[in-house]
Amino acid sequence: MKLNTGFDISASALTANRLRMDVISSNIANAETTRAKIENGQYVPYKRKMVVLDANQQSFSTLLDKSLNVNEKTTALKGVRVTKIVEDTTPTKLVYNPNHPDANAEGYVEMPNVDTTVEMIDMIAAQRAYEANITALNASKSIFQKSLTIGKG
Amino acid sequence: MTILNGASFKRMEAALFATEARQRVIANNIANAETPNFKRSEILFEELIENAMGVNTNKRLEGFKTNERHITIGKGSLGLPRAQIVTDHTTAMNPLTNNNVDIETEMALLAKNQLNNQLYANQITHEIMMKKLAITGR
Repeated sequence: MKLNTGFDISASALTANRLRMDVISSNIANAETTRAKIENGQYVPYKRKMVVLDANQQSFSTLLDKSLNVNEKTTALKGVRVTKIVEDTTPTKLVYNPNHPDANAEGYVEMPNVDTTVEMIDMIAAQRAYEANITALNASKSIFQKSLTIGKG
Repeated sequence: MTILNGASFKRMEAALFATEARQRVIANNIANAETPNFKRSEILFEELIENAMGVNTNKRLEGFKTNERHITIGKGSLGLPRAQIVTDHTTAMNPLTNNNVDIETEMALLAKNQLNNQLYANQITHEIMMKKLAITGR
């Protein structure tokens, strides 16, 4: 009985999408942060973060199955995971605001490279992906429950 | 004694296992709907069992017999293929991410698979009930 892996697959996607939502929340919260860290004695603005999704999950059960050579076909299904969180390399925005405490000599302030609109769209996508995986999880559950009733009149 | 070992019962059982395997594959496709370079997989079972049962006679492989006692290959066999996982490497839904999962299609397949599973489970239950009726006589 390998239906349990159906739960694991959907659960891994739920975890990945929740982390994606956390990263998006962090981006929106820091859309105006000019002092994220200090580099060479100067404040550096916040850089937009992104998740890297990868299909290769090395969980304990898949590794065990691989080492025991159990059913190679089903071990190919490994769900999804976030391998790392990377920073967006697009340049920061320069905004003219001479009264800002972090303005440079010309009066420009380096603002984070976060576009709130893009973040909101990403958030909707993550939310819908989460819902889709919940549906898949419920389907697994109902198949499991149906299988338990076989033979009961 | 073939109380619950008949060919049709075995086929129904194999179909039930195929829906469970398909559920895992679809769940994996949905989980990786936004993973770069991921390619969707699907379960091949109905086509295989049709070929094995001889519904589609054109494509079927048949063993050549030179002796009466040779094991029958193809025609007349029980016809229980194993469900196969095939990965579609040819298409791409989103050229930017090189991913070919169409989430709407996957959700539709998920619903269809769930209903198929219930159908097979109900049919198996029904067959068990009929055998029970035949044994007890009431």
